[in-house]
Amino acid sequence: MKKEETVKLISAEGFEFVIDKKAAMVSQTIRNMLTSPGSFAETEHGEVTFPEISTTILEKICQYFYWSLQYASGKETEFHIEPELTLELMMAANYLHT
Amino acid sequence: MSGAKKRNFQIEAFKHRVVVDPKDAEKAWNILEHAIHEIYNYNARGFVFEDLYRTAYYMVYHRFGEKLYSGLVSTMTSHQKEIAKSIEAVQGAMFLEELNRNWTEHNTALRMIRDILMYMDRTFIPSTHKTRIHELGLNLWRDNIIHSSKIQTRLQDTLLELVQSERSGDVINRGLTRNITKMLMDLGPSVYEEIFEKPFLDVSSDFYRVESQQVIEHCDCGDYLKKAEERLNEEIERVSHYLDARSEAKITRVVEKEMIESHMHRLVHMENSGLVSMIMDEKFEDLGRMYNLLLRVPSGLTIMKDVMISHIRETGKDLVTDPERLKDPINFVQELLDKKDRLDKIINLAFNDDKDFQNALSSSFEYFINLNPRSPEFISLFVDDKLRNGLKKDKEEEIELVLDKVTMLFRYLEEKDLFEKYYQQHLAKRLLSGKTSSDAERSFIVKLKTECAYQFTSKLEGM
Repeated sequence: MKKEETVKLISAEGFEFVIDKKAAMVSQTIRNMLTSPGSFAETEHGEVTFPEISTTILEKICQYFYWSLQYASGKETEFHIEPELTLELMMAANYLHT
Repeated sequence: MSGAKKRNFQIEAFKHRVVVDPKDAEKAWNILEHAIHEIYNYNARGFVFEDLYRTAYYMVYHRFGEKLYSGLVSTMTSHQKEIAKSIEAVQGAMFLEELNRNWTEHNTALRMIRDILMYMDRTFIPSTHKTRIHELGLNLWRDNIIHSSKIQTRLQDTLLELVQSERSGDVINRGLTRNITKMLMDLGPSVYEEIFEKPFLDVSSDFYRVESQQVIEHCDCGDYLKKAEERLNEEIERVSHYLDARSEAKITRVVEKEMIESHMHRLVHMENSGLVSMIMDEKFEDLGRMYNLLLRVPSGLTIMKDVMISHIRETGKDLVTDPERLKDPINFVQELLDKKDRLDKIINLAFNDDKDFQNALSSSFEYFINLNPRSPEFISLFVDDKLRNGLKKDKEEEIELVLDKVTMLFRYLEEKDLFEKYYQQHLAKRLLSGKTSSDAERSFIVKLKTECAYQFTSKLEGM
């Protein structure tokens, strides 16, 4: 993965997830963040910190991004969500407009 | 993962509601207000998007959306009032540029603000039926900047001055003007119409009224039409470069009305340069131009047709009643044929084979050919001459062509029976003298037959 095409998502605990920009932009919020005019810190450094999203949830979300891209290109597989994650996951999804 | 609203309801039922202190909301608002200020001052470098987004998110989430929204409105409004003042203060020629620059900056700022406040824009605003941020930004711009009395008048005057100077031949900054008209269109078609288009059309109307008056006093018909065509094309080009496309039909209507419609009678009837002299001098380009211009206005072509009809009738009448001409029947018919050829050519080259004009031509010929009672006899004599002597001089195809044209003249005759009588006599003489080709004879009779059948059946079909 080339550096210009990736973005780093950092969880509350400081875990860093490096994913494709294309995947990250499944989230409308992240998409706006990265394409907004003006020079916000995130676009300058290519990394976004989410102090309110835990590592487990952020990991699941990154998985979701990739699953979503796959689903859109035809592979209709299932996305499994552990029941105990559901609540927080939905809140994060709402936050990220995904 | 969508349908967030539904889940919101569910979440509330389970989640322990944290009561947020209004002081926290106040703090949150201050952070955002500061950010908006910095964005407007083009100073937003280094801000952390996520922080601001999350702050706005929590305000809305904890039911302080109203505070956020009204804060936004008042901050944006006060910024715009400042911008208005600075634009008003600009001297002279830089006015449009300043306006344009601020407009571009405003759009960038608006986008950034909307991105930060995206959560409110997609949840709180639709559910409370408030105006969304992008539209809000445009409306505030419209109300505070464009409708500011000083700016509005100056903007209008500047735009109209630019158009006027371009009409007088100066070069203007088209790119800048296009940005401004586009801005007006973005603010709403009614803004564009009110601030620019309507005064533009009024001023243009006056301008062309005056210009047409001046030009017609100094130019003949052909030159005037050239000028009118030039102006028409100029306006169309103007619209394509820096006005909204919808203005094209309106401004061309203005030019057509003031330059063409108001003066068309005078132009067509003009002595020594109007339609009649164009026809006589076979000025195909001028005729074509007149046709195309008058095509655009109601009843334009009717005037041309009427003038043409009366001209053909008059000259035709002179032709058939001239005693000198009547001494030479062959030549007489030849002149009729030539006349028809000339007029056919005009209709073909300049009038786009317009059927109405063709019919007008036919009816005029019908009129004057029958003014001379000897026309049928002369035509028969002409045919006689062609069939006897023609084959010596001309090729067969040429004879065919000429006889085709004669058939047209035959069509115009009222007294076809008279023609038949003479034709029989002449035919008999030819056959006896053997001075004719039976093919040619047969083919001409076929032509007559077709012509008569046509006449006969057209009457039936008419019924």
